[in-house]
Amino acid sequence: MRKTGWTALAVLMLSACAQQNGAESEEAAEAAASEDTEIAAKAAEKDGDDGDKADGAVHPPLDPYPSTYEAYPGETVLLTGATVLTGAGDRIANGAVLIADGKISAVGAAGDIEAPEGARTVNANGKWITPGIIDIHSHLGDYPSPSNSTTSDGNEIVNPNTAYVWAEHSVWPQDAGFTRALAGGITTLQVLPGSANLFGGRSAILKNVPSRSVQGMKFPDAPYGLKMACGENPKRVYGERGGPQTRMGNFAGYRAAWIEAAAYKKKWEDYWADYDEWAENDDDDKGDAPDAPTRDLKLETLAGALNGDISVNMHCYRADEMVQVLDMAKEFGYKVRTFHHAIEAYKIADYLAENGVCAAMWADWWGFKLEAFDTVGENVALVHAQPGGCAIVHSDDALGIQRLNQEAAKAMADGRRIGVEIEPEDAIAWITANPAEAMGIADETGTLEAGKMADVVVWNGNPFSVYAKAEKVYIDGALMYDRSDPKRSPRVDFELGLHDNSFTGGAGQ
Amino acid sequence: MIGVTQKATTPMKTFTAFIAAAAALAGMASAQTVAIMDGTVHTVSGDVIENGDIIIRDGRIAQVGADLSAPAGASVIDASGKVVTPGLFAPVSSIGLVEIGAVDDANDASPAQGPMEGFPLGAALNAIDAYNPSSALIPVNRAAGVTRALMAPSVGPTMFAGRAAVIDLSGRSNSVTRAEAAQYVAMGERGAERYGGTRMGAWAVFREYLDEARSYHANPNDYVRRPHDGRFAVSDLKALGPVINGEQPLIVSVNSANDIRTLIRLKNTYRLNVIIHGASEGWRVADEIDAANIPVITDALYNLPGEFEDIDATLKNAARLNEAGVTITFTEGAHNIRLIRQHAGNAVAEGLPYEAALKAITLNPATMYGLGGQLGSLEAGKIADVVIWDGDPLEVTTRPDAVFINGRPQDLNNRQKMLMERYRDLERGDLPFAYRGGE
Repeated sequence: MRKTGWTALAVLMLSACAQQNGAESEEAAEAAASEDTEIAAKAAEKDGDDGDKADGAVHPPLDPYPSTYEAYPGETVLLTGATVLTGAGDRIANGAVLIADGKISAVGAAGDIEAPEGARTVNANGKWITPGIIDIHSHLGDYPSPSNSTTSDGNEIVNPNTAYVWAEHSVWPQDAGFTRALAGGITTLQVLPGSANLFGGRSAILKNVPSRSVQGMKFPDAPYGLKMACGENPKRVYGERGGPQTRMGNFAGYRAAWIEAAAYKKKWEDYWADYDEWAENDDDDKGDAPDAPTRDLKLETLAGALNGDISVNMHCYRADEMVQVLDMAKEFGYKVRTFHHAIEAYKIADYLAENGVCAAMWADWWGFKLEAFDTVGENVALVHAQPGGCAIVHSDDALGIQRLNQEAAKAMADGRRIGVEIEPEDAIAWITANPAEAMGIADETGTLEAGKMADVVVWNGNPFSVYAKAEKVYIDGALMYDRSDPKRSPRVDFELGLHDNSFTGGAGQ
Repeated sequence: MIGVTQKATTPMKTFTAFIAAAAALAGMASAQTVAIMDGTVHTVSGDVIENGDIIIRDGRIAQVGADLSAPAGASVIDASGKVVTPGLFAPVSSIGLVEIGAVDDANDASPAQGPMEGFPLGAALNAIDAYNPSSALIPVNRAAGVTRALMAPSVGPTMFAGRAAVIDLSGRSNSVTRAEAAQYVAMGERGAERYGGTRMGAWAVFREYLDEARSYHANPNDYVRRPHDGRFAVSDLKALGPVINGEQPLIVSVNSANDIRTLIRLKNTYRLNVIIHGASEGWRVADEIDAANIPVITDALYNLPGEFEDIDATLKNAARLNEAGVTITFTEGAHNIRLIRQHAGNAVAEGLPYEAALKAITLNPATMYGLGGQLGSLEAGKIADVVIWDGDPLEVTTRPDAVFINGRPQDLNNRQKMLMERYRDLERGDLPFAYRGGE
């Protein structure tokens, strides 16, 4: 826990990016019976897919732990009369959102959208509707609740380069934190490995729907992310353990790894070229097919980042370090998608925008370490104000993820006070459309636009208020949380039967 | 030196004029008579006064009411459209002791628990010895409306953390309101892990300290002449004097319902003046806490079974404790004690009555430390810690327009604001960014 407060917080932030807690539910009662077979079927289906391609050459599997997520049933529902923030920059004062077949079917003015036959119409007067909230930086499941050495699975602090680990292999779906985040409107989140290492490993993008397995939460076909870390953490952790001990050591470590990864990537490309040549060779004496290179999990992930399949998420506080990282990306021909914890983004907001890099930020955290000393409340707004700027508000915290709307509200207020024009319809993108874009899932979620997943939050008022609560959270059109209905509130296994934890649903705890 | 702020025709102009007035006030060298007119005044101890006025004179609140007249020569602030409250009081914090959490030479909050384990003293530590009123944390939180805080040592390797002081956030060298205002001890899991890994161990040592302190204070000369096993430093026992006689509040961090019950038992046995810090499961024993007359400092945003002592943590904790009659307030770290406001707002969203939430971050902490007669509400005769807000003070989008501590208008500038100003415009100028600001 963040305990009696003030001492613990700083300490926690040192080792991971912070630490987490979390969870999920017992839901699944009916679906349970069929789920095992589903898992098996999906796995079988994928097997043939990725392993040996039709051409006969060996291809390392791109998705060996495939998503088995399936949307839960939802009704066709017309939410009407609400203030709708689409996430795409629009605000519809008397708006309506039609959900059908798990998708956003229509969004517009209340009078313009007809409820189809059989649809349920919900009067949402006075409510606000937004896209499902997305947290690009979470450790739920990897640092779950309860937090102790047996559950702490977020930071593989054994080597400065652990690009070989995958966050999903640590995710405990029974983390109660998932349910609390759901009550805060979170429908999608990226779970990242911790930041002790230069290369922390692969991230997992999850739908915030309880499941017995992490595969049952994985956002279908979402790209993987790679977690990297700048600055203090790696040098602090490895300074006395063989290095890196300095920031120049950090860079030497990154660069050496990219060189190795480029060679590995070329080795495979050469192999596939050789294989093709061999396959096309009609000569009876062409001999055996060329041998495939040996797989290397670390380099496989790094090579994926080099070829753009895996998006790079770089924890980086200081402006000068971010600028150096962008040169490094050019040196090796990869792209940094998002700087996380970008405390000093405002100092280089122009440069970030020119380079098409997003900055994921807190509203006001500061001072827990020196590289976090230069926080300003206007950071998010100043990044947002740059032409082409991409601002994201993230949590890195099992409590913060529950109220990303409030964090965005604080950032919006600080920006407005210095004259940056930001309206709720703009600021909502910091916690919806922008993270979706940065995570490579914007075609499917992050805004209320026809055809997208029906990931929708109904708030009891303006979400940029401390008093606002998510009343209903739809994920792929299924009502996964209803603040007024304990039956629509997940509670994880861990919470059952401990004390008298039955006064409310776990999510709304 | 400052006249009546003219009412301007547009809200923006009013705002600008208001800021100018506040800035001019902040430049005043000494406390003088100030009249804050026509604001929505939350007195906290009494009613909310619409179009209320406050007269500040000689550092104190001279008058509070509606339709008061500004005294001749007073600096007048037009607070129409604004909300006026007492200054916020952070009930526990390491502000003043820590600059950068992870930098050893910028963190004096506690003896290290790791490499320096074995540091002999605890209760004897005194926060005012390390207090840095020039800390950058102070102006940042002051600009956000926090005017008082309890500056407390954090938990070190010994049983007691040390003596905490109430400070004001003026940043002045004489900003200690009350030294040795409270003693701090971490029990629950944080206690157990330092005493054999069991709560039995921690509570046993806790009792030993109190017994030993009683023995010492019963006859100090006799005590020091007797042989001892060296586990108890005399200076620690000396420092526990006001704790064992019930004069000095003892802040005890505990979370589980079980730990709270044990604490209540010991409070009664030893007749301690206890304040609970944490109480994530406090609502389960709210009536017992109330019957024992123990105030609670809690985290209104904590709702996870983060440890086995937090299984029943809930966002409704504050509302339920308040409902049971318990005096509550909210905790936040050091750098962001300004966020106690956000705790209060969230507690309201979870059922805590609005005025109770405001009281929780103003009058209640003052009362806990015996300063309720001086601070925490807008009443004639009290110290003039006053904040003028641009909206609902519990709302996350609201900011202070002016802050008074001891009747003095405060400078709201701070290094975060200076950094923002420096980089607000990223156009390359005639000189590097390092030359910007400071003129």
